[in-house]
Amino acid sequence: MTNETLLRLGRRPAAVTALTVVALHLGAAVFAPLLSPADPYAMIGFPLMPPDGTNLLGTDELGRDFLTRLLHGGRTALLVAFASGALAVGGGGLAGLAAARYGGWVDDAICRLVDMQLALPSILFVSLFVAGFGQSLPMLVLVVALLMSMGVVRTARAQGLGLMEQGFVKAAILRGETGFSIILREMLPNAAELLAVELALRSSSALLLVSALSFLSLGISAPTPDWGLMIRDGLTSMRTEPWLVAAPAAMISSLVIAINVATEGVAEALGLEAARGGA
Amino acid sequence: MLFGAILRRLLLSGLTMLLLSCFVFLATEVLPGDALDMTLTADELSAMPPEALEQKRRELGLDRPAVERLGIFLGDMARLDFGTTVITGAPVADIVWYPFRNSLALAGATLAIALPLALVLGIAAAVWRGRAADGAVSTAAIVGYSIPEFVIGTVLVMLFSVAWPIFPATVTANTRAPLSELLAAAPLAVATVVIGSVAYLTRILRAGMIETLASDAMERLRLAGIPKARIVLVHALPAAILPALTAAALYAAALVSGIVVVELLFAYPGIGQEMVRAVTMRETPVIQAIAILAAAVVVAANLAADLSMLALDPRRRG
Repeated sequence: MTNETLLRLGRRPAAVTALTVVALHLGAAVFAPLLSPADPYAMIGFPLMPPDGTNLLGTDELGRDFLTRLLHGGRTALLVAFASGALAVGGGGLAGLAAARYGGWVDDAICRLVDMQLALPSILFVSLFVAGFGQSLPMLVLVVALLMSMGVVRTARAQGLGLMEQGFVKAAILRGETGFSIILREMLPNAAELLAVELALRSSSALLLVSALSFLSLGISAPTPDWGLMIRDGLTSMRTEPWLVAAPAAMISSLVIAINVATEGVAEALGLEAARGGA
Repeated sequence: MLFGAILRRLLLSGLTMLLLSCFVFLATEVLPGDALDMTLTADELSAMPPEALEQKRRELGLDRPAVERLGIFLGDMARLDFGTTVITGAPVADIVWYPFRNSLALAGATLAIALPLALVLGIAAAVWRGRAADGAVSTAAIVGYSIPEFVIGTVLVMLFSVAWPIFPATVTANTRAPLSELLAAAPLAVATVVIGSVAYLTRILRAGMIETLASDAMERLRLAGIPKARIVLVHALPAAILPALTAAALYAAALVSGIVVVELLFAYPGIGQEMVRAVTMRETPVIQAIAILAAAVVVAANLAADLSMLALDPRRRG
């Protein structure tokens, strides 16, 4: 990112605020054990105790410190979101560029797979795997990454098709560079900014999808602290302890809104219009 | 030419459905071992004597090779024969039909409200691009698009059935109730899906309209002195609606996912509820039927969008 881009970004107050919120979330997740030293799995009091001096947000339905679980929920969310986002952008980016580089049957096969996946609603896609393999965190990350990679393939392929027309790629082909070297050395560096934006967008979509799955009891499983699960569990006592639902709801919403607003700001500052919208 | 273009799209849709059915079969019956592994827990499996297990496998046709079973599966799906459930032996079609109908009704009601709203908001934001109105619409859209459906729904419940109790928090209508009665009993569920859909569709329609308004053709109309309102409504709108149609069809998949979540939150008797029940009960035939039906709806929506593009835009008939 050049100084000029940073200046353009600095003139967008919404984007700067959003970046600050993302940084706060990251800080809270990294320093969770320092901010709230209680054990997120330990029962430290009676169930559903109201907030007081030691338990700032009271206890949950099993008597665990709610603030601690809320902060550790951020760790789960960011870890799962970033891991699946990174896998999706790595795999999807390479597949998309390869489709553009090789064309022919490679392109056809990749495009058909993407079309097929786009026709299957993501929650159904994941639940097919949960039904088959049971719930596990590595499988969840892999399946969500697979889903998220489909959109990345489309973006990377479009970018790659544009790059194939550029002089330096044509020159590399004439020099006799191998196909894979062209993808890695010529195309990838020129798609890096776009893929970075994709990483942020896919991570935030992954976060939304995983929280929805957790809410349906098909995602992260108890007792791992997770915002989607907390909202599901808090619904039963919503009338008497509304903060048990409101706090995780505010956390997840503020994080996803901040990532999306910040990404939009960064994409516009970089001059990338193509990265908007997208499922 | 036109006939060929239509035929090509029909064939592509058929191919997508075929590949999807293979994928559903692979994910539910081949990868995890077989249908028996899926239906029984590990404890039940190890407790069963080997002969009984073998007998059960033969009954379910699992002793045959996977390719042969795939052929049978595809044939059944093509005839919409979803078989019977593993646990009770009831026909899957009977279990899935009413929830499927109810979910379609929820999706239809949502689109009927969300599409016109998004069209007005998206065009207004594009026409007044960069002004306060655009700022408000774009911000609201990105916020609405970033909040999970179950959070939107929960906030609506907190506001309109806890703080100011004017709507029910859960749907009490029966699965087989007439659709009018069912939708009337679920105002908050409809509102939740509408909010998410309007946010998503507004973003796409705004982007499409901005692109159209920036085109040379529109610039020429402006230079010819045609009033802005006429350019937007008569010339730009039809051109912007075409790509929006494709985007809306692609949104069908996301809409189904949103509806699944909202159904669970409001206890709306649709395929979302049935799906989660089937996954927890490990009812493979029900999961397969729901996956195939949902995919068929999305493929059909995309086909319909493609065909209306053909009808409206002669350039695409090549």
